[in-house]
Amino acid sequence: MVQQHTTPSSSPPAAFLLLAAVALPLVWSLWGAVAAGLDAPAWASLLHDPQTLRALGLSAWTGLLSAALATALTAWILRTPHRLTRWLAPLLAVPHAAFAIGLVAVLAPSGWILRALSPWATGLDAPPPWSTTQDPWGLGLIAVLVAKEVPFLLWAALAHLQRPDVAQRLQQELRLAHTLGYSASAAWWRVGWPQVLPRLTAPLLAVLAYSLTVVDVALVIGPTTPPTLAVLAWQWLQDADPAMNAQGAAAAWLLAGVLLVCAGAIGAAFRAPLWRLRWTRGCAASTAQQAHSSALTSAGVLTLLASVYVAVLMALLVGSITGHWPFPQLIPDTFTWAAWQSVLGSGGTLWTTVWLALASACVALAWTVAWLEWAPPHWQRRTQPLLTLPLVLPAVLWVVGLHRLALAWGLDTTGAGLWLAHTLACLPYVLLALQGPYTGFDARLRQVAATLGHGPWTFLLQVKWPLLRSALCASFAIGFAVSVAQYLPTLYVGAGRFATITTEAVNLAAGGQRSLTAAFAWLQWLLPVLVFALAARLGRSQWKTP
Amino acid sequence: MSLHVHIARLATPASTLVSGLSLTIAPGTVHTLMGDSGSGKSSVLAAICGTLAPELVFEGEVQLDGVHIDALPTQARRVGILFQEDLLFAHMTVRENLLFAVPRGVQADREAQVQQALVDVEMSAYLHANPATLSGGQRARVALARALLARPRALLLDEPFSKLDTALRERMRTLVFALVKARAIPALLVTHDAADIADPALCTHLQQRGQ
Repeated sequence: MVQQHTTPSSSPPAAFLLLAAVALPLVWSLWGAVAAGLDAPAWASLLHDPQTLRALGLSAWTGLLSAALATALTAWILRTPHRLTRWLAPLLAVPHAAFAIGLVAVLAPSGWILRALSPWATGLDAPPPWSTTQDPWGLGLIAVLVAKEVPFLLWAALAHLQRPDVAQRLQQELRLAHTLGYSASAAWWRVGWPQVLPRLTAPLLAVLAYSLTVVDVALVIGPTTPPTLAVLAWQWLQDADPAMNAQGAAAAWLLAGVLLVCAGAIGAAFRAPLWRLRWTRGCAASTAQQAHSSALTSAGVLTLLASVYVAVLMALLVGSITGHWPFPQLIPDTFTWAAWQSVLGSGGTLWTTVWLALASACVALAWTVAWLEWAPPHWQRRTQPLLTLPLVLPAVLWVVGLHRLALAWGLDTTGAGLWLAHTLACLPYVLLALQGPYTGFDARLRQVAATLGHGPWTFLLQVKWPLLRSALCASFAIGFAVSVAQYLPTLYVGAGRFATITTEAVNLAAGGQRSLTAAFAWLQWLLPVLVFALAARLGRSQWKTP
Repeated sequence: MSLHVHIARLATPASTLVSGLSLTIAPGTVHTLMGDSGSGKSSVLAAICGTLAPELVFEGEVQLDGVHIDALPTQARRVGILFQEDLLFAHMTVRENLLFAVPRGVQADREAQVQQALVDVEMSAYLHANPATLSGGQRARVALARALLARPRALLLDEPFSKLDTALRERMRTLVFALVKARAIPALLVTHDAADIADPALCTHLQQRGQ
């Protein structure tokens, strides 16, 4: 029997204080962003800017295509059961920017692929003037977004599909569809996926928002003439001219509008009668070979994805210790630790990254636990859209509001301001990660503890939190990884006075310091992976399963 | 159309669940399989319709009208099944759930079959209903209609009445047995309840291994 979540420990006053502590900066930031967009001349200059329309088209093209491909690949992989979860944490831990930098090292005209094929297959003895990265069609950007969003969508889908009640029900329904004449593949597309898709609404919205509005990845691998609208907005926001700043804010709002329209259109498309007709048009003859080949293809997609990640991480690792490396040699002439010495020499950067991530993840986790413990369930439901707002608002718009908040509260260019910005960014991820396990906790255990004479704190400290240790540790690791990956808030709220490994990696990617860029990007991946590994170790059950 | 099942051995990696079981079920009759929990009743049904878990070993044969079907994939066997749970698809209406089961063909004919199936189970007023709004008994009848719309050559019943209250259970049992007889297909019913037995002469008890 599935137990309903009851919160005998609900404490509305405490929950109110918790909500106020987060809602105040969130609403303030939102209002700041709204105010920044209420500038008629800025809108006029935005609409008359010759770059706007093409940049908007590029944003829509790259954002929509990458979100669609990521969704389709996720559905394709989920068709056949795999032992997916063990692969997802290390893939999820790779920050988008680090992945983009690594992919550039693989795809660039002087990158690994062309070196491996030259000169024997291509005849090239110098890097060709090809746009294999930062291509005008945004294909590199699309590739990064698809490769990064598929693990996230898989993780979100599996969080639902691996619930014992859901898994058993779905398995039975698919089996039933087989007995009605459907192949495994047909059963999945008509019975399984239509029921999973509505559960992915929030993650899909987050993916769409991210893909349409991403800045750091687009700076590394996206088109440049013109760039996507998010990058253009970011460039305008950094301009010394206040009028250009206002135009940047208007561009950010335009992106938010496009996101809203796209989300609405996609939602309507999902509900189109066409799909219902496809579900019910009856089954055609199917064969055992079809089921077998689809299983192979599904495993192939997953293997290809994992291979790309391995290639990217290898490229970053080797790139970070590369010395003299003339084209088309596959192996560098010399190896050097100079880049790593530079990284370790800039200890302030590493320290800023670590303390920010630790402080943000700790506070986000503590707040989330307190909120889930004390807030009545209907409060949790109703405030969810507000608390997850940073996930779906374009980042470039969000930082405008955050900057205004920091200015108003005197936190601009301070560590406290940076910590607040990172905490607000981590919080929705930590909340979404912990919400399921925490609210699904068997409420009867609280009653058992009470009947044994234990108070609420003893129950929390000795029963509930130890049992939820794995989920708590994983949520902390997610918060840590989100903080490490922050680019725009760090630059904008910190006004360039605070460098983290992410800001260094992205800024260096535009220059020619290949080894140093790779070292920072590798570190950008290594830090979250270490914390994920530590979280997995700390969260491991003391009981060994036979 | 008769169903013949011979199970020389049905086993998990750790133990044998069923051995030496032979059943021949005539068209229009319901054979009952009884036994304790863990005696392998549901695994027998899974072996017949081809949904046996990969870790289970099946040695034996399944024939429909003398034709071996045990090498066919589940979707090609045309053996229908009703589970304890109705398993109506939540994203489809009653009509869509039923259309899902009707083989591809002329749409008007398919719609007519759906409407007739609902008449057969006395649910014609619920064509466009959302399954979530139906009672347990109504859902069970829609599930029965769906199973029969696929034109199965045999029907397996995996404790389909166990979640219904006494009155509904009796009504549903009568309906199922009548439809099996009308369609002249063999049916194998797994149950814990002796009241479900259609014909005491057509009943097999599975013993839990080691007892």
